[in-house]
Amino acid sequence: MTPEAPHIDWAGLSPIVALTAGGIVVLAAGLFRGAWLRRYGVPLLTLLTLGATAGLSIWQWGEDKAIVSRALAVDDLAMFLNLLFCAGAIAAVVLALRDSSPEESGHGEWHALLISSVLGMTVLASAQNLVVVFLGFELLSIPLYVMCATNLRRSKSLESGLKYLIVGSVGSATLLYGLAMIYGATGATGFEQIATALSSQAGLIDDPLTLTGIGLIVVGFCFKVSAAPFHQWTPDVYEGAPTPVTAFMAVATKAAAFGAFVRLFDVALIDAATNWSPLLAAVAVASIVVGNVGALTQTSLKRLLAWSSIAQAGYMLAAVVVADREGVEALAFYLAVYLVMNLAAFAVIVARERETPFGDDIRSLAGLGASRPALAWPMTLAMLSLAGIPATAGFIGKFTLIGATVDGGYTWLGVAIVVGSMLSLYYYLRVVAAMWLSDVPVPAAREPVPAIAGGSPELDAAADPEDGAGQDAGPDRPVSQAEATAVAVLFGAATLFFGILPSPLFDLARDAGSALGLL
Amino acid sequence: MDIGWYLAVSALVFCTGAGGVLVRRNPLVILLCLELMLNAANLALVAFARMHGSGDGQIFALIVMVVAACEVTIGLGVIVAIHRRRLPVDVDELRELRG
Amino acid sequence: MFVGLGTVVGAAFALINSYLGPRRPGRMKADPYECGLPSEVKEDFRFGISFYLVAMLFILFDIEVIFLYPVAVQLKAFGTFALIETIVFISLLAVAFVYVWRRGALEWR
Repeated sequence: MTPEAPHIDWAGLSPIVALTAGGIVVLAAGLFRGAWLRRYGVPLLTLLTLGATAGLSIWQWGEDKAIVSRALAVDDLAMFLNLLFCAGAIAAVVLALRDSSPEESGHGEWHALLISSVLGMTVLASAQNLVVVFLGFELLSIPLYVMCATNLRRSKSLESGLKYLIVGSVGSATLLYGLAMIYGATGATGFEQIATALSSQAGLIDDPLTLTGIGLIVVGFCFKVSAAPFHQWTPDVYEGAPTPVTAFMAVATKAAAFGAFVRLFDVALIDAATNWSPLLAAVAVASIVVGNVGALTQTSLKRLLAWSSIAQAGYMLAAVVVADREGVEALAFYLAVYLVMNLAAFAVIVARERETPFGDDIRSLAGLGASRPALAWPMTLAMLSLAGIPATAGFIGKFTLIGATVDGGYTWLGVAIVVGSMLSLYYYLRVVAAMWLSDVPVPAAREPVPAIAGGSPELDAAADPEDGAGQDAGPDRPVSQAEATAVAVLFGAATLFFGILPSPLFDLARDAGSALGLL
Repeated sequence: MDIGWYLAVSALVFCTGAGGVLVRRNPLVILLCLELMLNAANLALVAFARMHGSGDGQIFALIVMVVAACEVTIGLGVIVAIHRRRLPVDVDELRELRG
Repeated sequence: MFVGLGTVVGAAFALINSYLGPRRPGRMKADPYECGLPSEVKEDFRFGISFYLVAMLFILFDIEVIFLYPVAVQLKAFGTFALIETIVFISLLAVAFVYVWRRGALEWR
């Protein structure tokens, strides 16, 4: 056997190459002495890299090919998810512009870590080989562990980093052991060969090796998507990590993990579906219940969103269980919607964390409706959308999810989603009520904050992000948070837009859904 | 020799590691136990590669080794950072974020 | 079956150990740690940061070289392609090295 020099498809590889090169350039740029370059040049380079990656992904739309010995798939699902990762990372960079975490850990390092995490997600989203799945997962997670701990002076941040590292590594190790079992059972690492082996060899589906492998893989994935029995780390890590990192982690990691999840189970292990679908369905229901019940009593917004993300992971798992084209479509659509509404909510949290002494406590939102409508409306829309109220994107997303479960013969899962959403109304509406119904609290720690009342200049700034950049007030006065407000308004508007006019996003999701070649 | 023995050892090592992660409280020891889990998977991979007579498992194991080293290095880095903040190096005492 | 076997062997080891092992209970043994770092940092404790830093960097650069091994095995078959691959790989490592160096991580403090 003489291997030949492989043919390299540079076009298909281009998003990955762009991210790698961008990461190196950003890391190097962080070494230069000029403070201006480090503070603004590095984020700018990062945004350029992410923009280029998004552009290359759009360029590769509709190509539908497999590259690098069929280990990476360049198809619409992968490219769709690439766009989501880039959107999440761009939002994180913008939100972190004035955050203390890049300051403390070094701008070059922080942004290079962000880019390498996106690189891992890109690899994972197109992984078609067990080795690449593991590699992508680690490339995604390891930078995130560090990013959680980048608020070096805040012990909560360090603690969340260590916790995430330990829990995440246990998840990776379990996943790896499961992958090893699947390799042992089928003798292949490529998804297509695994599928062929499972369908052609009799009895292999019920082989104990395969079953153990599937079980361990499910456990490993559940750690990563924070699904029910393995969700304990989520609230702690979400709360402790710097908020821009939390925002990125919440939306992008989920998209990447679900991308790999759906590809692995619906392509490689599709013939063993009778064995894994009851397991996944149980995990989905458990996540919906645990997440929604856990969120009921939270007073910290980041913890509330963490519990809600556990519940949302349950909703999305239902789409994986269905294992048909409609399910993948619904999953892709919901991932995009989830990104939009969560980024809107996290942007508001970032802004309020810097403006009030309450941190991410729900009190920081009190009276926001009267004082800062530009922040209150996006948050309201995000909460209503997460709850699934009509005329928001979340409603359409849930509607497609439920439709997919009913058509796929899992009506009871659809019922679970509906019941979970009804339960979730309570805590989402509590946030909305805090904004519109309660008065501005008197801050206990610091002197009363006068700028909260004068909303009009901020309002104008919010409409136009370019305008607000010059409004930096001194450290004593609360800063207007133009860029965070802009992110909030943008994604809040997107939540409303996709709620009323979902067809453009739906067309993209349909392309992504048909990429896996399912019925 | 039957592959079952290799797998038995591998499963044993994996369970030792998993148990250690759950029971031990020193993060350094937990990192060691994580290494055990990953290396158990490596052993299984190499054994399977031998069974199937293909190189895929061996390459997989090489990659896992590198990744494991990176993971542990990051873990050590975070622990060093915690040490510099003089926080207790004991996962049970890291209670600021209520579990 | 393998899992069952693994569990049995694991349990056997654990049990045999507690039955056959020598019993020397003592204060040291009753402490939560028999090995590893003491759990409390003493007042005048100085962590050898440089030591850890260099050790970690050594591990990373050391282990990366493992990727050259499969290339070495198949060197003849791949020819020029292997050479280019190796050069790309080494230059990436060199970038990492330059970064570490410029960041001052190699200075002994």
